[in-house]
Amino acid sequence: MSKTISEARIIEDPEELDEEELEGEADPESAPVETPEGADWNTVERAFLTRRSIRKFKRKQVPAHLIHRMLEVARFAPSQGNCQPYKFAVIRDPKLLVEMEEYCVDQCKQLTAAVNYTTYKKGSFGYYKARVMARLFNAIDPNMLHPVPVTAMTSIAHGKFMVFHRAPTVILILMDKHGIGVPEVDIGIVGTNIVMAAESHRLGTCWIGFSKLLNKSKEWRERLGITDRFEVSEAIAVGYPVGKPWQNLIERPTHEIAWFEDGEKQILG
Amino acid sequence: MSMLKRLLFGDFPAWDDPQACQFRRVQIDLDACDGCKLCVTICPAGVLELYGQKGHKKVRVLDGVRGCVSCNNCHAICENQAIKAVEHFAMSGYYRSEGLGEFQPPRTSLPGPV
Repeated sequence: MSKTISEARIIEDPEELDEEELEGEADPESAPVETPEGADWNTVERAFLTRRSIRKFKRKQVPAHLIHRMLEVARFAPSQGNCQPYKFAVIRDPKLLVEMEEYCVDQCKQLTAAVNYTTYKKGSFGYYKARVMARLFNAIDPNMLHPVPVTAMTSIAHGKFMVFHRAPTVILILMDKHGIGVPEVDIGIVGTNIVMAAESHRLGTCWIGFSKLLNKSKEWRERLGITDRFEVSEAIAVGYPVGKPWQNLIERPTHEIAWFEDGEKQILG
Repeated sequence: MSMLKRLLFGDFPAWDDPQACQFRRVQIDLDACDGCKLCVTICPAGVLELYGQKGHKKVRVLDGVRGCVSCNNCHAICENQAIKAVEHFAMSGYYRSEGLGEFQPPRTSLPGPV
């Protein structure tokens, strides 16, 4: 029989906790995992290490129940104040996906023409006009003018790169802008649940930041049923990857770690 | 830096300047490469191509094409471990990265001081 909240024991002073009593009888199933230094990566860690951003998918559609499983895992993601500031739109209709792609490509063409002055002849009117626009964009949000997204956007505009990579399924994560604190962080967390659930089925996923372009269109907001309170925050493309991208563990740069222990500070890398 | 300051004095790199925006290239072991084309197919930046005669094809980086972001998907997928990115991209000014070290595989032992 389950206890109601009024019956549950209220612990007033944490120091009074009897650790042995709380842990109960020795149960090998719930014992902490002892992992020695140098031990091989376990299944969960390995899943994180071998997950790659996949941009080349097989045509085969992902069964609906697998997408549903991923969204169920998403439902149990941590969020600020447990406010869960998101809902989802799953796009599996090829015609709709093509139209979404076309719209975003068109937006990339317009943005490239507006800011990428390097696509104009140096000294031309277009060159200077785009430089002024780039300067304006740079003042508003310099992070968007990083050479990587600008190069990607330009490649999309020139038909050399795709937005949704012809994935058979695209999950749009719609953020509730009234979420607690910084709802963008919760989007990152819930999306990680989705991509890792997908990884466990050997499905490939890719985060699509360019999906935010859909927000600019009243028509797309209406078609996708996005009200003012919500916005497309990220999209996750899902499909069966070409090849075996989990085959080798790759290398990445180390990240500086400031380590404080025993009254000392060390910089590890 | 405030928005006004950025508007007046802020600058951004010339996106086509190879000095200001250094995209990385990849290391290829030509003895190990069997020209299966998998890496060329999956490279998100589209910087790879096959060359050579039929039956003896090898992979190389397209001449003059920039955009490798060192994602290392080529390394992950290669059945012969013939290809990998060994350096991160490097941008100048505002976009210069900080706190990143050398490329390392995942390590199960404590890292040493830098």
